Amino acid sequence: MKKETGNKIKLGIFVSAGFALLIIGIYFIGERQQLFSRTFHVSGIFKNISGLQIGNNVRFSGINVGIIDGIEQMTDTTVKVDMLIEEDTRKFIKKNAKAIIGSDGLMGNKIVSITPGTPGQEQLSDNDIIATEQPVTMDDILIKLKVTGDNAATITNDLAVVMTNIREGKGTIGKLLMDTTMANEVDQAVVNIKQGAGGFKQNMKAASHNVLLRGFFKKKTDKKE
Amino acid sequence: MSTGLKTSNDLNSEKVTTPSENSYVKTLKGFFEEVTLLTKFTGRFFREVIRPPYEVSEFLKQSYLIGYKSLPLIAITGFIMGLVLTIQSRPTLAQFGAESWLPAMVAVSIIREIGPVITALIFAGKVGSGIGAELASMKVTEQIDAMEVSGINPFKYLVVTRIMSATLMLPILVIIGDVISLYGAYIGVNLKGDVSFDLFFVKIFEKLVFTDVFPAFIKTFFFGFVVALLGCYKGYNSSKGTEGVAEAANSSVVYASLMIFILDMVAVQVTSLFT
Repeated sequence: MKKETGNKIKLGIFVSAGFALLIIGIYFIGERQQLFSRTFHVSGIFKNISGLQIGNNVRFSGINVGIIDGIEQMTDTTVKVDMLIEEDTRKFIKKNAKAIIGSDGLMGNKIVSITPGTPGQEQLSDNDIIATEQPVTMDDILIKLKVTGDNAATITNDLAVVMTNIREGKGTIGKLLMDTTMANEVDQAVVNIKQGAGGFKQNMKAASHNVLLRGFFKKKTDKKE
Repeated sequence: MSTGLKTSNDLNSEKVTTPSENSYVKTLKGFFEEVTLLTKFTGRFFREVIRPPYEVSEFLKQSYLIGYKSLPLIAITGFIMGLVLTIQSRPTLAQFGAESWLPAMVAVSIIREIGPVITALIFAGKVGSGIGAELASMKVTEQIDAMEVSGINPFKYLVVTRIMSATLMLPILVIIGDVISLYGAYIGVNLKGDVSFDLFFVKIFEKLVFTDVFPAFIKTFFFGFVVALLGCYKGYNSSKGTEGVAEAANSSVVYASLMIFILDMVAVQVTSLFT
């Protein structure tokens, strides 16, 4: 009889532990889905939601403050996204706040980030519709990358033509770098300049001994002293 | 007192076989006969379960034996499952630089699929075979007949209590097994990394949603039900002496394991309709 009572107590503890763990699990999952906290509704109208799903996070200043509660196609080009946001955050989100769809890391889920808006503005009311910014999609990035790539290809082609011309000695830079005749001529010119400078020095020396110019040179020497 | 239920042996003895019948037809016939008998057995369970008197004391005793006594086995396998799954998943996630996803990935795998199915299979091995062997030995030693003679409804006392206990105890075992598995995963994550318990906890609940938990929890009731149902059916309808006991224990586990996978496949399909 005693053993039977002991077994019943053990069974009771076992069942209670199971139920307690189940309830704790439900509570924490529910808390993440804002089931047990005070919340308010906000909506945003987007042209493209880039795969955003119900249950994705809503972030404000990088903190998870809510979840996506509903997604509804309104017209052929607009989608309404309903967000459930914690009541405690309401005072920080102003009427001119903006919602932007982003991504949680490179491979992460889609999220909605809310920018705070300007100080002094009124805070959001329940069921308000806030302004949105269109997300930069992967397609947009790929299109821009393609344009950049095409431009890079054109530039490198032109550069290749220029380098070929230079190597073949075409054009001013090509001749300057590749033509040896010009270098020889420059060398000869330098030799000529040196020779001319030597001749000029001799002429000046002869002139200083000339009767007409001797006075001028003497005055110059006196001034220097 | 007759139970009103014909065993497969009774039907086999009534069956007229002709020389032209090949073995495939015999097998097919045998299969459909088994299905009919199992359906009748299930129907009788549902009739008996709502009809008083209720064997509460025996139900509690069976719940203790089936549930509480299975806990150590479930706990050890659950812990190892979580640990091994984490260790094995880490290199693949590390290749993508997504090691921070390890807790969430392991948690979703354990709670949605691995926890319920592995626990149910171990449960089938321990409890299903135990029920099959116990009832079969009672059958071949004519204890069940003796109960009928002494005015006790053996079906209510032996079958209903065991099926009800297994149906209600397996979900609790799965919940506790899942939690222990997650603890094993936490140890696994920290073998080659440094993740605090708080962060691990947050990461788990960040990705879990009700559609992960409830379908997985509900299907465990069905797993428990089929494990005990097949164990009771095989044991209650066994014959051929000690050979029949061994066959009942063995076939209980085999059919229960197969049914767990079939039910799991159906559960996944049904869940996908609503998510």
